[in-house]
Amino acid sequence: MKKLNIFAVLVTLLFGLTATVEAQITDKPEYGKIAITGATLHTVTNGTIEGGIILIDGGEITFVGENARITNEYTRIDASGKHVYPGFIDGWSGLGLVEISAVPVTVDNSELGQFNPHMYAFTAFNPHSASVPVTRVSGVTTVLSHPSSGSISGKASVMDLWGYSPDSMAVKKSGALVMNLPSSGGGGWWDNRSEEEIKKQYEENLKEINDFLDKARFYDRMMKAYEADPSGKTKPDHDPRMEAMREVLAGEVPVVISADDKQEILDALEWIKDNDDMSFILEGVSEGWRLADEIAEAGVPVLTTTLYTPSRDYDNYQRPYQNPGLMAEAGVKVAIVSNDTENSRNTAFEAGYAAAYGMGTEEALRAVTINPAEIFGVADKIGSLEAGKQANLFISDGDPFEPMTNIEHVFIQGYKIPMDSRHIQLYQEFLDRDAVNE
Amino acid sequence: MRKFILLLALLFVGSGFQGIFAQTTPANALKNVTIHNADGSTTGSATIVWRNGVIEAIGTNVSIPFDAFEIDGGDSLHVYPGFIDGLSTLGSPALPRTQDLPRLEDPGNPPYHRAGIQPERKPSELLTEDNNFEAAMKAGFTSAALYPNGFMLPGQVEAFYLSADHADVELIKGTMGLAGSFEEAPGGWGSGAYPSTQMGVMAQFRQLMFDATALQQHMKYYEQNPEMPAPDRDRVLEAMFPLVNNSAPFFFEVDTKEHIERILKLQDQFGFDVVIVSGKEAYAKADELNQRNIPVLAGIDFTDAPEWYAEMKKKEEDTEEEDAEGEDSEEEEISEEEQMYREKQLDAWKAEVSNIKKLMDAGVSVGFSSAGLDLKDMTKKVEVLLDEGGLTENDLVALMSINTANILGLNRTHGSLQQGKNASFSVFDKAMTEDKAKVLHSISNGTIHEFKGN
Amino acid sequence: MKKLLTLCMIAAFGFTAQAQDKGSVLIQNATVITVTNGDLEETDVLIEDGVIREIGKDLRAPRGVETVDATGKFVMPGIIDAHSHLNGVDINEGRNPVTAEVTMEESVDPNEVGIYHALAGGATAIHLMHGSANVIGGQGETLKLRYGTTQEGMKFKDAKRTIKFALGENPTRVHGQGNGVQPRTRMGVEQVIRGHFDEALDYKRKREAYLEAKANYDRRGRGTPPVPVAENLRYEVLNDIIEGEIYVHCHSYRADEILMLVRVFNDYGIENYTFQHANEAFKVAPELAKHGAMTSVFSDWWAYKFEVYYSTAFNASILNANGVINSINSDNDQLLRTLNHEAAKVVRYGDTSVNDAIKMITLHPAIQLGIDDRVGSIEEGKHGDLAIWSRHPLSIYSKAEMTFVDGVKYFDRENDPDDMRIQINPGADFDDASNFREITTRRETDACLQDAFILLAEQSAHNHN
Repeated sequence: MKKLNIFAVLVTLLFGLTATVEAQITDKPEYGKIAITGATLHTVTNGTIEGGIILIDGGEITFVGENARITNEYTRIDASGKHVYPGFIDGWSGLGLVEISAVPVTVDNSELGQFNPHMYAFTAFNPHSASVPVTRVSGVTTVLSHPSSGSISGKASVMDLWGYSPDSMAVKKSGALVMNLPSSGGGGWWDNRSEEEIKKQYEENLKEINDFLDKARFYDRMMKAYEADPSGKTKPDHDPRMEAMREVLAGEVPVVISADDKQEILDALEWIKDNDDMSFILEGVSEGWRLADEIAEAGVPVLTTTLYTPSRDYDNYQRPYQNPGLMAEAGVKVAIVSNDTENSRNTAFEAGYAAAYGMGTEEALRAVTINPAEIFGVADKIGSLEAGKQANLFISDGDPFEPMTNIEHVFIQGYKIPMDSRHIQLYQEFLDRDAVNE
Repeated sequence: MRKFILLLALLFVGSGFQGIFAQTTPANALKNVTIHNADGSTTGSATIVWRNGVIEAIGTNVSIPFDAFEIDGGDSLHVYPGFIDGLSTLGSPALPRTQDLPRLEDPGNPPYHRAGIQPERKPSELLTEDNNFEAAMKAGFTSAALYPNGFMLPGQVEAFYLSADHADVELIKGTMGLAGSFEEAPGGWGSGAYPSTQMGVMAQFRQLMFDATALQQHMKYYEQNPEMPAPDRDRVLEAMFPLVNNSAPFFFEVDTKEHIERILKLQDQFGFDVVIVSGKEAYAKADELNQRNIPVLAGIDFTDAPEWYAEMKKKEEDTEEEDAEGEDSEEEEISEEEQMYREKQLDAWKAEVSNIKKLMDAGVSVGFSSAGLDLKDMTKKVEVLLDEGGLTENDLVALMSINTANILGLNRTHGSLQQGKNASFSVFDKAMTEDKAKVLHSISNGTIHEFKGN
Repeated sequence: MKKLLTLCMIAAFGFTAQAQDKGSVLIQNATVITVTNGDLEETDVLIEDGVIREIGKDLRAPRGVETVDATGKFVMPGIIDAHSHLNGVDINEGRNPVTAEVTMEESVDPNEVGIYHALAGGATAIHLMHGSANVIGGQGETLKLRYGTTQEGMKFKDAKRTIKFALGENPTRVHGQGNGVQPRTRMGVEQVIRGHFDEALDYKRKREAYLEAKANYDRRGRGTPPVPVAENLRYEVLNDIIEGEIYVHCHSYRADEILMLVRVFNDYGIENYTFQHANEAFKVAPELAKHGAMTSVFSDWWAYKFEVYYSTAFNASILNANGVINSINSDNDQLLRTLNHEAAKVVRYGDTSVNDAIKMITLHPAIQLGIDDRVGSIEEGKHGDLAIWSRHPLSIYSKAEMTFVDGVKYFDRENDPDDMRIQINPGADFDDASNFREITTRRETDACLQDAFILLAEQSAHNHN
């Protein structure tokens, strides 16, 4: 037993009291009038400005350009030699709904039942998830958090990653409706069902969905008729599921359908044609490059990733990396997403691979900024560096697609957030720990 | 047709005669038939005489003994040596259904049978009713080496004469060796056992060999020293002794190149003889098989031809028959990627179906095993072998008769039609490879078998 | 899947590569990242008969040796993945908590097209491991990615023997919760290890006594013969571990269980071991350094299970800063082919230098696999296992252009056909579902628990049927 060094103990206690391992961020954000000067501004929608100036006031970008008069009320950040980008948007994530995927009670994305358009990710989104700070310090400022399961899982919500309530974090509560169409091609080589079984179940499942949508359309018509002129009519019963479908049927909220292989994409495109009162987004599309022209023709945007292995044994090794670029080339609007939860921060790298393998950095940058913003109908607020938009942006010392680049400052809704997270705190505590314990 | 009915009647009567004259066993003679022999020779207008299950005389210019019951083949029947199925599970009791297997308390240390370790089982003790006996005979088989269906060590191999009724299936030779495979322990969720992986099966084989070696040593010591503690006798381990002592070969069912490499690895470690059963990719290891003197009882349960290829061939055939009427209609438009895919697919298929030919060309001793083939598909597969697999009818006949007899060590008495050899042969209504050829009668060990409902 | 393989798949032998081919090539004028001797600019590397013969400027190519102009490019040692299940026929013999007798050497699929994908990512060797279902799992096999050879041809000859251990949630779920067999808790995990080591030592005593007595009896032919003690494969392997002939690679997450194993190994005198994943290793970095324990971790995976909830992407940097030999691994077919990118992330998360990050995918995994005398850096005398990159390998825009194993070129971006399958299934048509690979992305399914899922899940979808 070593002799206790009282002095060492006291010193440790003192420092120990100020450190904490929990996911509580102790630093406060900065807010108000902030000026960022001298950096290369990657506006996305209006080209690149060298040595530019961004002015932020109360949550909004008020100026983006080369010259501006900066009054004394502004806190200045000298970002000479650095780069400013719009905060990245991860258009497909489980962030906030899932804390630990292997622990069922922390998984909140799958409600029971087949048709749940009235379930909002917004409601279950946990602002204090340990993954939120971990994600935002990397420059991903906004995610579309989506529910899963069933034929209609619910509504995915576009959430900024700064705030203490989902209300303040929500950019759009109804970002998209999540729908799962059945697959006519079966579930892969491990699917033991016979061809007839697969076909039968596919048709049954599809019919259920079509019937539901028909009912929703009917409800909408009925309610419109009532709302137009209630006189002399009995108010129909309120149906929360049907109510939730109305904005979707009006085309105001797009529907996300997951489709990966060629058959699934063809099935989806076919079905979409018959449902043109709604607007659609395809997610996954790992074989989108095989049908790039068809997808472009259908005018359907896609959400996709790059870091996965080729879908077919005889596909070229780089096909997944080339996929977003090949689709963009054909005229498809592509958003690159993480399709992850706790590693939503890697959205930038998914885009980086796309940039490296044919998409180019400019288009790849659009794929994580203005494209997802437009796809989810929030481009008036985020997705580029423009005066009048929300101050969601970050300052980096280089190309954010490069992993060795450092993200130095992040702004969300005008708050310059503390660059702190569980990962950083653990680093600070354990990098240079006390001597060996025996 | 009437002729055949008459023939049937005569044969029926003929077989009955053997019981009446118990003192002198009369012979049987089948004359005016075409004999296709194992050596590839075809002899027309030939006669075969047999008595007591042994061929007394065969060929043209054969004098038929006075006490032989004659049957005239009318020069339209074809006789082939009785085919021998080199390894089959005919008459085997059904495998336990996965859902019927109870959960084990200690799946890591299961009882032997739950691990698929049953080398003590003999097919002769377990024969059960099986419609496939007759199906085999209808396909021209008169004998088979059988083993009980199972998993990694399903049991022993014994050779039998076939008969529709399992009770009449006679033993030719017992304990010819052990059967083996890389099948993991039976069971599904909740009822599985060790070993459940290929590497587990390999390790388990080794451990069984070590355990059997120790037991054998203990038994030897005990025999001379009864004062020492007695060995724990174990039927399963004792059934492994022939492998430990290399006194009987291991009939091992494997198909892929890698699986073959694994059984060769075990051979290197323990020194037992191996016979490869099924062996779909054996051609890739032909040189090594030659070096090690390992024969192959090849399977013929090939994948069906790719659909697009079968269609293409059919179209070719059709357009050959009809007049070519100018432009051919549907030239299927496929991408270059798919075209290249198809080429590789066809190459792979052709390689698969020419396995036996390649083995023969390389000088490997190749015989036949049904290896799970549904005998109803026999004709279809044989057709493929002749059309695409590079085999001739002679190759086929040799494959299924004398080659297999050689591998099973039965060639002194079986496998070809010669004076002094066993009288086992099949009578076809036309040459075996002709369209819709059928076996009318199956003679095994001299006994004439008829089929129910021809 | 195995049944499908045995019935339908046929290998198309369009490859001419022989087992353990050796090649020669002169790579000219590149920036050579030696790892152990700095970055050498405008430098040539000459490989002859599979060995790096010379590193220098303006080397002359011996007669018949191909030259490659690598001006403006980077040459780095081939990436070594210390944790992979890429081409295992089976991964987990999960029916018993201890299965030291099985070995991945007998579970190698040389025809897995993912091997080629990994070469295209600059990787040249992997540690093919048993899964993490068992406390003491099967032995591993270090392979070189010689695509087109046999299972024997892929082996890294004379690599150190290795074996898989696993602590924490995986073995306690599979055996304790799934089968009602110990261990169900971390307490049980320790006792399963100790108990088996003790049994192995007892076995060794008895077996050696028997062999000696047998030799005596057989020689003299009189007296009482000894009761035979059968050779036991499992205990033999456990003894080999205790005697230091096998490097242990232990799947572990929590700091306390990591220390538990250090304690146990100290008791049995086991010195060479690497903690795999070890998400909480950073909490006990000084202890690990003190005991010479090594680690092999993810760059940034966390939060998918409870035992990794308190993790940090700065794990590698903390370990490195504290002097622990750390490598970055994939445990995933996709990460394997972008390990250069994973290493780059280590530079972002912490103060790790670029060269140290590169060590984590080259020299350090080589040390952990006992092959650092032959690979892991570019030095004269080492194997010609390396890749030519279009830019610095830690840039996301960098692409591996050629990959060499033993001086033989196994990947060339200029000559890269789409369909690189060796094993063609004649029964599958072009769009057939059997051609589709399971897309490996995030850590939804614990790769280490493949095969063992049937022990946990209600469904009957078994990977191999």
